[in-house]
Amino acid sequence: MQPIQLFALASRQAEWLQVRQQVVTGNIANANTPKYHAKDVSPFQAVLDNSDVGMARTNPAHFSGSEYGDDNDIRVEEAPLNQEVGVQESGNTVGLEEELSKTGDIQREYGLNTALVSSFHRMMLMVVKR
Amino acid sequence: MDPLSAALKIAGSGLEVQSTRLRIVSENIANARSTGDTPGADPYRRKTLTFGAQLDRASGAEMVGVKKLGEDQGKFTEEYDPNNPAANAKGYVKMPNVNMLVEMADMREANRSYDANLQTIKQARDLISSTIDLLKSSS
Repeated sequence: MQPIQLFALASRQAEWLQVRQQVVTGNIANANTPKYHAKDVSPFQAVLDNSDVGMARTNPAHFSGSEYGDDNDIRVEEAPLNQEVGVQESGNTVGLEEELSKTGDIQREYGLNTALVSSFHRMMLMVVKR
Repeated sequence: MDPLSAALKIAGSGLEVQSTRLRIVSENIANARSTGDTPGADPYRRKTLTFGAQLDRASGAEMVGVKKLGEDQGKFTEEYDPNNPAANAKGYVKMPNVNMLVEMADMREANRSYDANLQTIKQARDLISSTIDLLKSSS
């Protein structure tokens, strides 16, 4: 029987959420930059599914999920065009409200993640302390 | 660099450009009636700035920076004020090409963007502290 890789999974998701937070922050900081296109990360499901096809990074300036090893493949891609905002006069496609609601999602999911980790940790301690 | 510190850094760059923008707006508003001091001289010219995305090589983060400070080449309006030292032979004074309405709108937008950046800083801080809380609760 396979042990449940909960902690591995949880830290994977936490990392994904952190990268997403970074990308969303970049979008918000560039909300008034001409010709800037909003970005997003590939969905977590996709990150879990294809953990073997990552693009090689040949230059440190290339985008990558993070600097921790090459086994992660959180990819930063251009976000689908927000239809309510569209392309603004300056060629910018960032919708501030959408990005802020994304940060809310990230916060909630991260809270759930850390709560789950700590409760599983408590369970393990319970077993060990017997 | 881990993504959350990068996020803090990016949001910091966002705060910086938006405050530069506010500075430019207040310079423009403060100088909305600054005329020249010799007859026929040009008055204050409205300042502008543009932003550009900058890739931070160390962290691979997409930061933002002021790309170019420029001047508005728009026409000056003229007002009849023969007693002004900058009045020309016909008594007209060139007034700065500052439009209060535009400056106010720009100020509001800068404000809004500044708030959004602050919000992301708070958010990143919350995420970091909830990670740290994992250590606290499991004693």
